[in-house]
Formats: sequence, C-alpha cells, structure tokens
Amino acid sequence: MENNAKIKNIIQALGQHKDSQAAIDLLTELGTNSPDDEIRELTAQALIKKNTHESLRVVLIHQGKGINDLSARVAMTAINELLALKDKNEAIKILDDTIKMHSEEDVKNTARSVRALMTFS
Amino acid sequence: MQLGKISFGSTKVLQQNKQQNTINSNKLSTNPFGVSFKGNVIQADVFQSAKSAAENPGIMQRGKLFASAVVSGINSFNDAFKSRMNAVVSFGKKITTDVFDTIERIGNTEITFDMSGIANRLFPDRQYSVKNLSNKSVDELKSLWQGLAEIA
Repeated sequence: MENNAKIKNIIQALGQHKDSQAAIDLLTELGTNSPDDEIRELTAQALIKKNTHESLRVVLIHQGKGINDLSARVAMTAINELLALKDKNEAIKILDDTIKMHSEEDVKNTARSVRALMTFS
Repeated sequence: MQLGKISFGSTKVLQQNKQQNTINSNKLSTNPFGVSFKGNVIQADVFQSAKSAAENPGIMQRGKLFASAVVSGINSFNDAFKSRMNAVVSFGKKITTDVFDTIERIGNTEITFDMSGIANRLFPDRQYSVKNLSNKSVDELKSLWQGLAEIA
C-alpha cells in the first residue's frame, strides 16, 4: 500500500473518530495544509461530513482551505459535499455570517456563491 | 522250553556283569560335584575321564577357573542388567510423571492468541485499514500520518 493510500485511510478514520474535536484539529493541522491536492480534497470532505460548527468553519471561512482552496478540484469537491449534506442549517448559518462579517472580499464572494447554490439545491 | 531257560540264565549273567562294570566305573568317576540322581552317580563319560584329569591336572584347574569366571561374569551381567533396568524403569516413571504434569499444566493454562497482532504481522498493510485506524487514538494517528508524510 502506498503512503498516500495510508494517509487517505487515516483521514477517513479521523472523519469517523469518536474524539471529534481532536480529529478536527488534526485534520486542520495536517490535512488542510498538505501540499497534495488529493489529501486536501479528502480532508475537506471529511470535515464537511462531520457537519459541526468547528469543522465547517475550517472549510468555509479560511483563505486557501475548503471552498476557498486555490485548487479548483478541491474547492469543487468541497462545494459538492456541502450540497450533499442532509442538514445544511449549520453550513448556511456560517456562510451568512461570513458574507456579513469576513474581512476578506474573496472569501465573502465565494461564500455568497455557495450560499446561493445551497439555497437552490 | 530248555532254550528259554538257557537264554534267561545267560541274560541274568550279563546283567550281573553289567552291574559289576558300573560299580567299577563309579570308582573311577571324577565328578567334582558328586551329584547323584535317584541314587545313581552320573557316569564318567559325561565328564572328563579320570585318566585325562590325572594326566592333565592343569586343564581341570583352568576349567574350574573358567566356570568361576563365567559364573561371576553372569552375576556381574545380572547386576548391570538390573541397574540398567532400574534406570529404564525410573526414566519411564519420570516420563509418565512429566506427561501427567504437562497435561495438568495444559489444563490449567489459558491459551490466548493475539489474532490482530498476528494478522498485522502477516499483512502489514492491514494495520492501515480504516477499521483498525478508527480504534487508534488521535495522537497515534497523528504520529502515523507525520511518519508517512516524512517518508513521502
């Protein structure tokens, strides 16, 4: 098994780990900062699937992470995952706050676009 | 009838001669043990003749020594055989005791197999399965991830 495949399995394990907060911290620390697009993509998916305030904040309001990732593939995967959520309330609330209060204009614009997609999905 | 009487009388004479010869030959007997069976001493022709013994006294002496040596040899063989048999018997008893002890020990021993450990050794990638990783602590996962990232 290749190292990347092992890391992917670690990310999946963290996505379903009982110690949710510690798992989110580790995914944020190592996953979202990985130079590998595939690792960042999987990390964003794992964080969105957790569907908690802390995990969604990481992928929605941080520059260069989640929906704001420089890689279109990573950003699109994160948006698709958000649209696939059954309970979108927490994500919409964070997006609304971001649109209102975030200092970065790029982040605000991205949040606005995703918010619109979620409204019509 | 007369012929029969004659023949009977001659037979009697022959028997008397035979008995006389036996007595004479008994006097010449060199049977060293003097063993007799039903009153009759064993005849000289069973053993070495008196004549030859008288001519070669050394041979008899050597024969006795040889017999003595044989007897003592048999005795020592018996002793050695007995001691060996004792060793064999004691070995058998020890084996039996050990077997019973082992059986008892096995009966009192709880045998456990660390199947996950064995499986991980046989299939090293198996420890990186999502199921196995989910049971690890976050700190363990962090060190695993960092280790893999360094190698990559």
